[in-house]
Amino acid sequence: MPETVIEVSNLSKLYRLGTIGTGSIRQDLNYWWTTSVLKKENPFFNLAESDNSQQSKQFLWALKDISFTVEHGEVLGIIGSNGSGKSTLLKIISRIVSPTKGSVRGKGKVSSLLEVGTGFHKELSGRENIFISGYLLGMNKEEITKKFDEIVAFSGVEDFIDTPVKRYSSGMYVRLAFAVAAHLEPDILIVDEVLAVGDADFQKKCLGKMRQVSQKEGRTILFVSHSMQAIHNLCDKAMWLQKGKMMDLGDVTPIVNRYIMGVQQFKTKQSWERGQGPGNEFLRFENVELIPHLLSDDAPLDIRTPLTVSFEFWNNQDDVYLTTGLHLFTNSGECVFDIPTRPGIYKRGLVKGTCEIPGNFLNDGSYFISLIIVKDTSVRLFYLEECLSFDLEDYRGEIKWYGKWVGAVRPNFPFTMHQELEIPAHHA
Amino acid sequence: MNQTVEKWDWQNSAQTSYWSVPLREIYSFRHLLYSLVRREFLLSYQQTLLGPLWVIFQPLMALVTYILVFTKIIGINIGSVPPVLFYFSGILLWNFFNDSFGGIYNTFRDNIQIFSKVYFPRIIMPLSVVANHFSRFLMQLVFLAVMVGYYAMFKGFNFNLSFALLGLPIAVLGVGVISISVGLIVSVLTAKYRDIGNVVALAIRMIMFVTPVIYPLATIPENVRWIVMLNPLTSYFEMFRFGLFGEGTVHLLPLMYSITVSIVILPLSLMFFNKNGNKLIDVV
Repeated sequence: MPETVIEVSNLSKLYRLGTIGTGSIRQDLNYWWTTSVLKKENPFFNLAESDNSQQSKQFLWALKDISFTVEHGEVLGIIGSNGSGKSTLLKIISRIVSPTKGSVRGKGKVSSLLEVGTGFHKELSGRENIFISGYLLGMNKEEITKKFDEIVAFSGVEDFIDTPVKRYSSGMYVRLAFAVAAHLEPDILIVDEVLAVGDADFQKKCLGKMRQVSQKEGRTILFVSHSMQAIHNLCDKAMWLQKGKMMDLGDVTPIVNRYIMGVQQFKTKQSWERGQGPGNEFLRFENVELIPHLLSDDAPLDIRTPLTVSFEFWNNQDDVYLTTGLHLFTNSGECVFDIPTRPGIYKRGLVKGTCEIPGNFLNDGSYFISLIIVKDTSVRLFYLEECLSFDLEDYRGEIKWYGKWVGAVRPNFPFTMHQELEIPAHHA
Repeated sequence: MNQTVEKWDWQNSAQTSYWSVPLREIYSFRHLLYSLVRREFLLSYQQTLLGPLWVIFQPLMALVTYILVFTKIIGINIGSVPPVLFYFSGILLWNFFNDSFGGIYNTFRDNIQIFSKVYFPRIIMPLSVVANHFSRFLMQLVFLAVMVGYYAMFKGFNFNLSFALLGLPIAVLGVGVISISVGLIVSVLTAKYRDIGNVVALAIRMIMFVTPVIYPLATIPENVRWIVMLNPLTSYFEMFRFGLFGEGTVHLLPLMYSITVSIVILPLSLMFFNKNGNKLIDVV
């Protein structure tokens, strides 16, 4: 039976807002009197819970009644939107701050990577910084001495190791800092979003290293990330936090999917009363809709999902030669494609169109769609800008690589490679 | 049930205890302590021309000022010890106290960046400050010994090696203990109530005047001497000079008073610091 190495029970953290930092002596004395002398509960709990909104507004439960255990060798991914309490949880497990209620208990040496370059001092050389940062993160002297060359090689700053780090480029600085972190050998590793730094190449190296640490060396890892792809590939279990409460804990895929569906922002449907829609004297839109064909009910909208765009508008002209163009833009405003319908003659009345965007075609990212109605293939009648928007999540399946996939599209057409000729080793 | 409680290596809960001074943990971070001292030392002389020589030059510059002001202008009677030696010894010990204290009481303000990102026994930071200033003090003490030798050989200063020299380490230890203890307590208070930080700088200057740094205790009139005697540092300073030069007012009773204060205040301050250390990270 695997051994439990972290036990979190009824963990809560209350922050006092507004007065953080000073807090009057009177409040402190009141607190001390009730908790230490009368041995009662924290007097601020009642205030925080009270219905009096004026008073409860001064308090924030950053975490509320969190309980779970982590077993040896487990990789737990923690997801949640900003302000959900992820970092607070990591800080309490790291013993940086103490909880307001409840407790965390654990076994073994813990190293926390909550930022890159903890303890780095810009005036000191790379060499000095490796040691001091290593010690701060919990390494001992033999470990650092043994791994020193490896750390330097990993960071790629060999020539500058005796130069003060203030003269490093920011990339070099980050690489050196991460190199130290990557060579930690604690029993429990706590990582907060530090992978959001460095170039794509370096990120790849870091994630690879983390995977190696977790899989080959059987280390327990707690990992906070906004990259669902990384969570997917690194973690055995996932925890979803929202506003300080634990929404779910368990297998990665369903939790990540539910989380993504909760945060994905799209405008997938717009419809208007007849005559109220956007348009002009020539035409008026009735509705536009994006229909994703999800692979299963709980699957997120990812790059594999085929999409259907449908729209309807009222045509107010007789026998007019019309065509509709669909423009798909990336988040940054770059046009991915412009696809026209076949032109044709339309009579006064309702016109409906649909466009099928296949799955395994677009890259991951945020997209929006605009529609343009053109008369006689050249006269623009109306341009409906940004009427639909959607996010596509990443999906890579077997490909164990986590860097940002470049390109506006990620088509999946046949592309193969094979061994044409083999030269046996002893002939080479 | 008790067995399951004991198998945990560490815990973090709402209740922090006064008693859990993690000695074993502090020991396991000893290399950190050493490298922090090394860092401070390297940092103080980074990009200076004279480098580590500043360890000696700083007190020497103070010495020149003191001699000008206190012997040439004010004319304090300092007994038969050459003024250079008298003031230099006072400056060294006072600087050790003042710099350690000054470094410790800002522990939380200065290190919040690190404290909020990584866990280690917080006490390591103040310890590194004291260790740093102690090592500088030792270097300066060697220089003082050279000066004493020079005065004994060429200036006819009558220096006798005696058992009184054994008082020297006790005096230094006592001063160190008081600076750590008071520093730890004030560090917690300033982290919480910043107002105190403003007062401390002034208070420390006042304390210097009720410590025999620039005058020997013997010159203080009997009727106000008790004010100076209330200061637990006084006996240590007198004993320090007595050990070095054979001149000073060392009596058993005041000495016992100073030692008792040191022995009582050290564990109290450690407990106080320990109890509040982790809670302060949210506040600073």
